[in-house]
Amino acid sequence: MSERATLSKDEVRGLFQEYKEATPDEQPALREKLVEQHIGLVEFLARRFRNRGEPLEDLVQVGTIGLLKAIERFDLDREVEFSTYATPTIVGELKRHFRDKGWAVRVPRRLQELHLELTKVVGHLGQDLGRSPTVAEIAEATGTTEETVLEGLEIAQAYNFTSLDAPIDTDEGGSTSFADQLGEEDEHLENLEYRASLAPEMAKLPERERRILYLRFFKGLTQSEIADRLEISQMHVSRLLNRTLSNLRTALEEE
Amino acid sequence: METVAIKIPASPVYLQVVRLVAAGLASRLKFTLDDIEDLKIAVDEMSAYFTGSNGRDGTIEVTFTVQEDRLEIRGAGTFSPGEKVRTELTEFSRMILETVADSASLEQMDGTPTFNLVKSKAS
Repeated sequence: MSERATLSKDEVRGLFQEYKEATPDEQPALREKLVEQHIGLVEFLARRFRNRGEPLEDLVQVGTIGLLKAIERFDLDREVEFSTYATPTIVGELKRHFRDKGWAVRVPRRLQELHLELTKVVGHLGQDLGRSPTVAEIAEATGTTEETVLEGLEIAQAYNFTSLDAPIDTDEGGSTSFADQLGEEDEHLENLEYRASLAPEMAKLPERERRILYLRFFKGLTQSEIADRLEISQMHVSRLLNRTLSNLRTALEEE
Repeated sequence: METVAIKIPASPVYLQVVRLVAAGLASRLKFTLDDIEDLKIAVDEMSAYFTGSNGRDGTIEVTFTVQEDRLEIRGAGTFSPGEKVRTELTEFSRMILETVADSASLEQMDGTPTFNLVKSKAS
């Protein structure tokens, strides 16, 4: 795979042990080592996708995001080698990359641009105003009409459908801090599952979607507040939330 | 106090129209984007009782009453005899609606399944 000095399985485990026990200051350097050690795997997997019209370097970057997620989630108690554990995560990230590209192709360009513009403006306005903006304010800032803004917001929901099984999204940033975002709230998430006889359906949700549900309906955070906390756009929160609710509704109905 | 009413087939396909009307009216009342998003979730949640995920044989008449600082929404479903419609909120719905609306109820009014929703402008 690669010509880098490769560590033995035991040495890799040792490095993970060190990483999991490290202080936040020490972690970046150790994470770097872990990434270096497994970048060959990422390259190997990325090459399988290279005939789809994307530069290999870009694919390696995308795959590295998957690698980082796998590093954060890897549990040493598992009787499985890290490379085995990481492979589906890395491949999932690569597949998602192409799926998102597919999205970009299907949505008419005008709507894509409107969507991007709105995402940006909503974020900026929210910060300037210290509250969620009104439609009139968004229209003024984008030099368009309220009607166009309303249409744009609705369109954000209509496109980019993915199944409940979709891997966790981390576009729009925030990928590396993802693991930091989990943890403290896990036990509350457990409580959420037991309510409303949702347990089986909730368990199927990706972590981020579960977390958004929890923050919105149990913590009472607004969509803007959740967007800030997860470092994604408010429109993305809205999309994830609506998609999750809709899927849950369907699942409950079929019970 | 003014009202706007629309009548749609009881299919999820047409909920986009209801959401757009709701959002448009809320926008006139200067709701913030967060509140508009909540309102849309509430409308979806309520309407789902009438449309199901695959649609039902019937129509839904949605009436929006525009108050000074709030929007009141009533949906009345008319269905062909074979269609069974729930008229009690699930616990899941209640959890959602408690968060996104001021009040929400589902009932039979003179034999017609009806939902009522109220969403106020953030103070």
